[in-house]
Amino acid sequence: MKYVCQICGYIYDEDKEAVPFEQLPDDWKCPLCGAMKSDFKAEAPAVEKAYVPTHTETADLKKLSAGQLAAVCSNLARGCEKQYKAEESKLFNELANYFTAITPAVNDATVEKVAKLLQEDIEDYPHIRDVADNGKDRGAARVCVWGEKVTRMLSSLVNRYLEEGEQMLADTDIWVCTVCGFVYIGQEPPELCPVCKVPPYKFEKIERGA
Amino acid sequence: MELKAVRNLRLCTKDCLCLYVCPYGATDTEDSIIDISKCVGCGICAQACPSGAISMVPTEYPPQQNKRDDVISVLNHLAQSKSDGEVTARQIAASTDKTGLKRLMTAVAKSQRLMEEDIEREGGFMLPQSGNTHELLMELIENPPTSDFPKDAAEKIMELVPNNEENY
Ligand code: SF4
Ligand code: SF4
Ligand SMILES: [Zn+2]
Repeated sequence: MKYVCQICGYIYDEDKEAVPFEQLPDDWKCPLCGAMKSDFKAEAPAVEKAYVPTHTETADLKKLSAGQLAAVCSNLARGCEKQYKAEESKLFNELANYFTAITPAVNDATVEKVAKLLQEDIEDYPHIRDVADNGKDRGAARVCVWGEKVTRMLSSLVNRYLEEGEQMLADTDIWVCTVCGFVYIGQEPPELCPVCKVPPYKFEKIERGA
Repeated sequence: MELKAVRNLRLCTKDCLCLYVCPYGATDTEDSIIDISKCVGCGICAQACPSGAISMVPTEYPPQQNKRDDVISVLNHLAQSKSDGEVTARQIAASTDKTGLKRLMTAVAKSQRLMEEDIEREGGFMLPQSGNTHELLMELIENPPTSDFPKDAAEKIMELVPNNEENY
């Protein structure tokens, strides 16, 4: 039997390993991305599935929220940076910071809420992927492939924190891939981002007391 | 397609081979930024640079890919959820005394923002030069969300970045 990491795709092949998967200790981690044992699933045979639209989807041309506009602008700032347009990039970041500042606060800011939102996103991805595939939009499909993995990792870490509390992070650093957003717990960043495959220097360390 | 040379100052090792090869003296400047008013886009400097520090970038970009309404609609919904997650995590990070939680929520907020940026890029805001971007900036200038909206920044962008879909 083969077990597949739902985050990075690492395969634990029982035929090649000494220990059957079920007998691995509970604190065993994915050797590639550090995901928990519970993030692995037994490999299932692929099933063909047809596209079924769940509701009529029309572009919502209503106004984007302040939170969304913050990301639209910080994304365009990155776009300018890639085009070597430093001044334009700075201006878009100024707009992004403005929208971040006016985004209304939530009144139930709890770790449980963060976990719940992540879980909802995980459940949403397959549908978004269907819509992207149906529209032959491979860019949107890529967003699903990367985003689902990163979201699963976030969800796994937040749930682990809810169980283990502060001791989970006492002696270790937290790293964020600045390209795809993958979060990694460890002394050093991974050799390669398990999601988007960029080298370690693309990882940013979350500083203590920052 | 018209190209101009740009030097990545982080990669440049200043060994100055590019200084010798440019027929127009565009690479020799006091601030290390290649003088695009002199550059004719021949690409000789980019080939000569031992550090891969010079890229030839187009001065104009093609219009971005059209997006289907149903794709935009599902991406918008996801983007809003990412934004809610980002705001929530940032608020927790700002108010907690627990150092581990503070770092974890900071990481979650950053990660959610990065995913959201990627979603917006695929949801119709790929290029700063796009018609979408220009419409958005125009709308914000005409109807600023609050009185302290940085209008000058938006106007300056419209001036610096041409709309590449104007004639489509
Ligand atoms: S040749 Fe390349 S590395 Fe050398 S000075 Fe020019 S840009 Fe910099
Ligand atoms: S592309 Fe040609 S003209 Fe432009 S800076 Fe390089 S060598 Fe000079
Ligand atoms: Zn990555």
